[in-house]
Amino acid sequence: MTASTTPILSMKGVTRVYRQGKVDVHALRGVDLDIHKGDFAAIWGPSGSGKSTVLNQMGALDQPTAGTVLLEGTDLGSLSRKALSAMRRDRIGFVFQSYNLIPVLTAYENAESIMALQGVPVAERRDRVMGLLEDVGLEGLEDRRPHELSGGQQQRVAIARALASNPAVILADEPTANLDSVTSEKLLDMMARLNNERGATFVFSTHDPRVMKYARRVIGLVDGRVDSDVQKEQGVEHKHQSRV
Amino acid sequence: MRGPDLARLAWRNLWRQKRRTILTLVSITFGGFLAFIMTAMNDKSFADFIDDAAQLGTGHVTIQNPEYQDRPTLSRSVQNTGAKRHLALQDPFVTRAVDRASGAAMLTTARDAFGAYFIAYDPELESPETLQFAQDMVAGEPFQTADDKGILLGRILADNLGAGLGDKIVFTLTDRSGEIVTGMERVKGILSTGAASTDAAIAMLPINTLRDVVGYQPDESSQIAIFLNDGRRAGRVASTLRPEVGGDAVLTWDEVQPEIKAFVAMKVGGARVMEIVIGVLVAAGIFSTVFMSVLERTREFGIMLAIGYSPGQLFRLVMWETGFLAMTGLLCATAFTAGPYWYLHTHGADTSAAYEGMASSMDIGGVAFDPVLRFDIYPENALIIAASIVLATMLAGIYPAWRAGRVDPVESINVI
Ligand SMILES: Nc1ncnc2c1ncn2[C@@H]1O[C@H](COP(=O)(O)OP(=O)(O)O)[C@@H](O)[C@H]1O
Ligand SMILES: [Mg+2]
Repeated sequence: MTASTTPILSMKGVTRVYRQGKVDVHALRGVDLDIHKGDFAAIWGPSGSGKSTVLNQMGALDQPTAGTVLLEGTDLGSLSRKALSAMRRDRIGFVFQSYNLIPVLTAYENAESIMALQGVPVAERRDRVMGLLEDVGLEGLEDRRPHELSGGQQQRVAIARALASNPAVILADEPTANLDSVTSEKLLDMMARLNNERGATFVFSTHDPRVMKYARRVIGLVDGRVDSDVQKEQGVEHKHQSRV
Repeated sequence: MRGPDLARLAWRNLWRQKRRTILTLVSITFGGFLAFIMTAMNDKSFADFIDDAAQLGTGHVTIQNPEYQDRPTLSRSVQNTGAKRHLALQDPFVTRAVDRASGAAMLTTARDAFGAYFIAYDPELESPETLQFAQDMVAGEPFQTADDKGILLGRILADNLGAGLGDKIVFTLTDRSGEIVTGMERVKGILSTGAASTDAAIAMLPINTLRDVVGYQPDESSQIAIFLNDGRRAGRVASTLRPEVGGDAVLTWDEVQPEIKAFVAMKVGGARVMEIVIGVLVAAGIFSTVFMSVLERTREFGIMLAIGYSPGQLFRLVMWETGFLAMTGLLCATAFTAGPYWYLHTHGADTSAAYEGMASSMDIGGVAFDPVLRFDIYPENALIIAASIVLATMLAGIYPAWRAGRVDPVESINVI
């Protein structure tokens, strides 16, 4: 366990209330949660339990109604819109359920795009992107546009893009929800391997119980509260299956 | 690296909805074409009209006695015309400066008597550009020098007088001291200007004949007519000349003929209104294209914001798209307009079929009506149209671009 080091992400007493007409919808009701470097954590819960809201709070996409979110020690609530953009660009990797990619860019260009925004030199971008695309099993498909890729392949590009910017954490909101079970398992297996080999920190949400066997930490969410937080034994083996 | 990246993205985005982009380009092209051709027609008729007015009147700029404008009589004359003409010719925009004397005269033949408007001029100083109808001879010969003998008559005036070539004409007018004087010349030529009102009134004399009759000095005339290579510079030329000619009045063509100025202003105003209407329609089309394409991409912009694009970058992205639309539109408009314009510029557009039978007698303020439409755009107006296309397009893109950056990622990403 590495619980002693400062967490990458820390949510303290986070509530989020949406006003819908005259009713208040309590999406989060006081969430306390720490994410540590190297975590491979699943946020698990039924639909509507607040998983997306938690990830949006972590990723500086949404502000809490009360409570604080610290990203590498910085209170996100204290940042300007511009600083939040830079934070998302440099410290967060996002993967959404589907249609994550910029449609007019190729797989290569999508993976490269954030690095270009970061001002990374072309040669360095090329090396890193080619390495990542190979790592996620997309060698040879670099020049395809998103519509020429399968759903699973698109999610792999999204993961490569998220990793390319060297973020502190990758937040994936139901990344397998639109994939069939075989493709889902391959994707999760690949994420677990990237976690193992590259030390990439992942937080992903799911409501699929089958996904859970890949997680090393399972955070159960019910009605906007953390209901359980289970760290599995270290040493749980991930079989290194062949890619794709 | 950031700029070119957005530009590449923008260029590809522009072609995502090919049909819509092409339709917008067509509307820019068509709008640009219409504005250009209309302006070219307008500029040409404006320039021609000024030149015609200058030709029929007394140049783009006129030097005359300060009291002449109130009541033009031959007693109100200009002295030392040679020196003043020389002075005017120093100005690089001045092409010619000529002595003129004109006014009312009574013409009498053995058969009849008619009032006429005479122009006395120096044939060696004039050219077809300054006194074109002095060349529009249907019979006889034009004058060669200021000392030639004879008189030229408008076709209808000659008919009315029953005068043919070689017939005697007695002309009666008031001299420089207000006395009634007469002269006699034989008809040397008959001219037809195409404008009936002119042909019924015009009589032309060599200026020295007139000087003799009215008692002018060799260097004296009632006006000096100054011609420019661009009639729009009349105001500037007049004001540089004014302090240098002593007490004489220096007037522009529209000060001499205020009724023509009003007519030209009306024509120019009408064309401006049409150009603005075209501009607004084109800009509205561009706005709806860009705005629609932004609204369709709400989720995409949400994703882009989530992964680290800033609102400012999305604003610039959409402005790049708009800019490409403007530049491509401008290229299409130029390509599509160049050929037709060149044809119209060199050949004109003949509308005589539409005016069958009336063209011969139509004139505006004594200027013959030309059934062939001519096209010649002022270069600065061409640049203004091009700049307007780009400016209108960019303006139309600002609001959609701003909206792109204001997309709420959380809400937009939920919408699939
Ligand atoms: N923009 C919103 N406006 C109103 N209610 C919302 C909004 N987004 C989420 N909610 C509500 O917040 C609760 C949690 O939503 P969400 O975080 O999306 O859950 P999950 O991702 O676990 O399905 C739900 O009851 C949902 O209806
Ligand atoms: Mg969700």
